[in-house]
Amino acid sequence: MVVILSEPLNIAVIIKLEPDFSEGNVSYNPNGTLNRAETKNTLGPHSAIAAHAAFFGRVMYDAKVSIGTMGPPIADLALKQAQQISDAGELHLYSDRLFAGADTLGTAEVLRVGIGKMQGKMDIVFSGHRASDGETGQTGPQTAWKLGFTFLGNVISYSVDLETRMIRAKRLISLQGSSNVIEEVEAPLPVFISIDPTYKSSYNTVSQRLAFQKYQKEATQRADNYKDYFKIFNAKELGVDETLVGLPGSPTIVYKVERVPKSTATRQSEVIDGSDPEQIRKVVAKMKEALAAMVIK
Amino acid sequence: MEKYDVAIIGGGSAGLAALKQLSHLGKQAILLEAGSKIGSKNLSGGILYSKKPKKGQITNVEQLYENFLDDAPIERKITKYILHSTSQDKVYSMDLTAAHDYQANFGYSVLLSKLNSWFAKQAEKAADKLGGGIIPGVHVKSITWNEQNGTSIIQTDELDEFEVKAIIAADGVNSEVAEMVGARKKFTPEQLFQGVKVIVKLPEDIINKRFGVSSDEGAAHLFAGDVTLNHIGGGFLYTNNDTISVGAVYHFDSQISNPTTPYSLIDTLLKNPMVSEFIKDDVPIKPEIDKNLPQEEQLRIRFAVAKLIKNWYEIREASLSSSGRDSLINSGKYKTVEEIQKSLSTLQEQMTEKFSLTFGTDYLEDEYGAKLVPDGKRCQMKKPYFKNILFVGDAAGRGVFVGPRIEGINVGIDDGVRAANAVARALDNDNFSENSLGEYYSKSVDESPFTTDMKQIDKDYLKIFLDAAKDVPKDIIGSRYGPILKMMSSGTMRGIAVKFANILGYDKLLPMIESEDTYVKVPIKLAERLGETVLSSYSPSIPSIADRIANLNYNDDSLAHIKVVNPTSEYMKKMVTLCPTKCYSEEGGKVIIQHEGCIDCGTCSQETEWRHPRGEKGIHYKYG
Ligand SMILES: Cc1cc2nc3c(=O)[nH]c(=O)nc-3n(C[C@H](O)[C@H](O)[C@H](O)COP(=O)(O)OP(=O)(O)OC[C@H]3O[C@@H](n4cnc5c(N)ncnc54)[C@H](O)[C@@H]3O)c2cc1C
Ligand code: SF4
Repeated sequence: MVVILSEPLNIAVIIKLEPDFSEGNVSYNPNGTLNRAETKNTLGPHSAIAAHAAFFGRVMYDAKVSIGTMGPPIADLALKQAQQISDAGELHLYSDRLFAGADTLGTAEVLRVGIGKMQGKMDIVFSGHRASDGETGQTGPQTAWKLGFTFLGNVISYSVDLETRMIRAKRLISLQGSSNVIEEVEAPLPVFISIDPTYKSSYNTVSQRLAFQKYQKEATQRADNYKDYFKIFNAKELGVDETLVGLPGSPTIVYKVERVPKSTATRQSEVIDGSDPEQIRKVVAKMKEALAAMVIK
Repeated sequence: MEKYDVAIIGGGSAGLAALKQLSHLGKQAILLEAGSKIGSKNLSGGILYSKKPKKGQITNVEQLYENFLDDAPIERKITKYILHSTSQDKVYSMDLTAAHDYQANFGYSVLLSKLNSWFAKQAEKAADKLGGGIIPGVHVKSITWNEQNGTSIIQTDELDEFEVKAIIAADGVNSEVAEMVGARKKFTPEQLFQGVKVIVKLPEDIINKRFGVSSDEGAAHLFAGDVTLNHIGGGFLYTNNDTISVGAVYHFDSQISNPTTPYSLIDTLLKNPMVSEFIKDDVPIKPEIDKNLPQEEQLRIRFAVAKLIKNWYEIREASLSSSGRDSLINSGKYKTVEEIQKSLSTLQEQMTEKFSLTFGTDYLEDEYGAKLVPDGKRCQMKKPYFKNILFVGDAAGRGVFVGPRIEGINVGIDDGVRAANAVARALDNDNFSENSLGEYYSKSVDESPFTTDMKQIDKDYLKIFLDAAKDVPKDIIGSRYGPILKMMSSGTMRGIAVKFANILGYDKLLPMIESEDTYVKVPIKLAERLGETVLSSYSPSIPSIADRIANLNYNDDSLAHIKVVNPTSEYMKKMVTLCPTKCYSEEGGKVIIQHEGCIDCGTCSQETEWRHPRGEKGIHYKYG
């Protein structure tokens, strides 16, 4: 019998440290803007989903996971949190004053070079759908473009054939005005995946669940000692082209940020006491009325 | 189809003990637990005992988990055990520490969410190596048998079906396994207690001072009398490390015949002046935000106040606990204890000056929960097996509840070990038949001293109560107990009387002991005649049931796991009152359910199609 040992799978995740918007952690300035100094930071929620998708590869294919982020030195916190989710064996922080003021393109360049510094040739790179503190969802696609990887957006599930080195992925496509469509695609590795916010890993057999538990425990142990896996790179150590990163590498000019004016409400609201059945009955009657007026095709 | 040797269904203390023991014996087993995390669905009072019975062998927790006393997240070793009889502001107290110490190595207060999670870590370490382990978030929904080889096929809501040779059912008092295979009928109200409990936060130093204990000691206080609202049962208050468990356990048939909402039972207990004083603390009072301010400013203030209060609690809690102080100093944030205190008072000043926050006396409730408890004396399974399935712990209806003796966790652990031993033997012999596996286990359970305790009166245990009650005027005890007491107070007569009573049978005597006289009337009389007046300096602001539910952590299941079968039955109408989270309401003579607030207590299970929610869904207790 010939056993073909397939090449192991290498996965990278790019993540971001973001403000923690939960009550008790967030602070606002008197003018209504975010008080960044007083607000705690945490791993961005979309980054966390990307880390979950990477962990799926760890559990199902024994993949090796590496994580990279560009940010200030305190972003090691986000790396630790992402390691706890994904059981990564390598954590990269790209941090340099030169990177300040970068737009998505300048960021993508740093990430491209950083990914190149990770151990092993990457097969899949995951990114979150977008950041929740004002990023526009372009970092992912631009990094993919710079890496020259096939880009798959809005991925809700995936599987890999280790021998043929092909990935199969389901993508959630929202079409305006009609219901969503799920598209199934197949692509040769390497690919860059921007993970859909609705992504959820599913492990359907006892053995997969046992593997899940095993790697999760390993992740906790690793995250407890995350410094052992952690490496920080400045511009020089990365060897980036300084004209392509930070302000010089960022063509976007933000010349004004406007607050969206609030429209005045045209609806009338009424507070209903949920413990009073009489009031609830009124609501039901109103809903019936409203439904009757709608034409349901 | 994947194949494994043994499946354990349910990851409470009993199931985890079975996994630990099987792994210890080198046998592969997987444990399936519906909760998303081990411990998230378990609720107890609770005191975990280690016992040394006069006759017979048991496995105690510290024998199964060798590092238990050094490493386990146990709260406090209970060193004071006091029974209070109450009537309004009068309390008469009796020291029952001797009853607590009776045949005990120790009794620790515990919180099951933490403790079971620790048990799981220990059990899993060993199970991993044998290709087994723990799988949380999986709800078993059916079991069938392969007719040819007798193996079981387990179906769950989450995973592909798989095959096992033997099953240990540790799925608790509302065991679906028992029901789906027809091993036993659902327990009846006469066989059950309804337990309800809240967790109150209180810093460690305050607990030490108030209860007169050191950091590793604790107190247990039991309550009977008017706090029971005429129900047969009583209240308890146990000190944990930096929380207090306050709860009430009532005979469920007493609740059925005279329904009282479970939360009013607990509220009555909390309002008792002695309990109120035990749980009180300094609390920050949020200021009313000026509604005329611009919306953004209101929001900014709300967030700022929330943050300050959170900080205040964090620093205060740490400053009032030995480990908290150490970790603040070790972290380098503060150099001395004085520095911590200074920063706390600065913070306090800031809160008052900037946001006109004030401080007052109240109590801080952090979790509400409820569950049925099987009364082992009345419901333990005579044959705790069915085909290749063995039942353990609450699922088998075991649990020793005799007077103030409340033991379920330790009994389940011992059962789990017995079942594991039986299954290991069956694997060695490759014989999983009822005659071999089932009978071997059944015999082992019969030999358990806990089983004997559920069948017989122990005269030495009884004597402790007689001694404790020796100063009680006989006329209070009344005509009912007078002659018995007289007979029992003489050594020789007591021996004869207990023998006679045991011949007559425990079940015949129980109604007399477990009566309104014992739990309500006599204690009220005692308190009125002999009690001391206890006054409370404040009245606790008790959260409404809606607030309590809102404070619980749920993962809502869109599918209803409970179906009302007969919406007009008298039983179901009582559920409107008896469901601890108000899931039932009556409209036009019909009872309807809204399952989202369900905490899987089992109270309504008798007349409903009742399942636990699917894996990871439903209630998730923080303390348990
Ligand atoms: C208010 C109160 C006070 C108590 N006080 C004490 C005390 O002081 N001392 C003491 O020793 N005992 C006390 N008890 C009793 C004690 O808590 C129980 O006897 C003990 O916790 C039962 O453990 P168990 O493992 O048998 O069941 P459980 O802890 O109920 O565990 C059963 C587990 O099975 C899981 N499960 C159920 N169905 C399925 C399914 N189909 N698929 C997968 N998983 C499933 C559940 O999620 C649960 O985690 C008290 C109980 C209550 C309610
Ligand atoms: S619905 Fe039934 S099981 Fe759920 S909390 Fe209410 S009484 Fe308990």
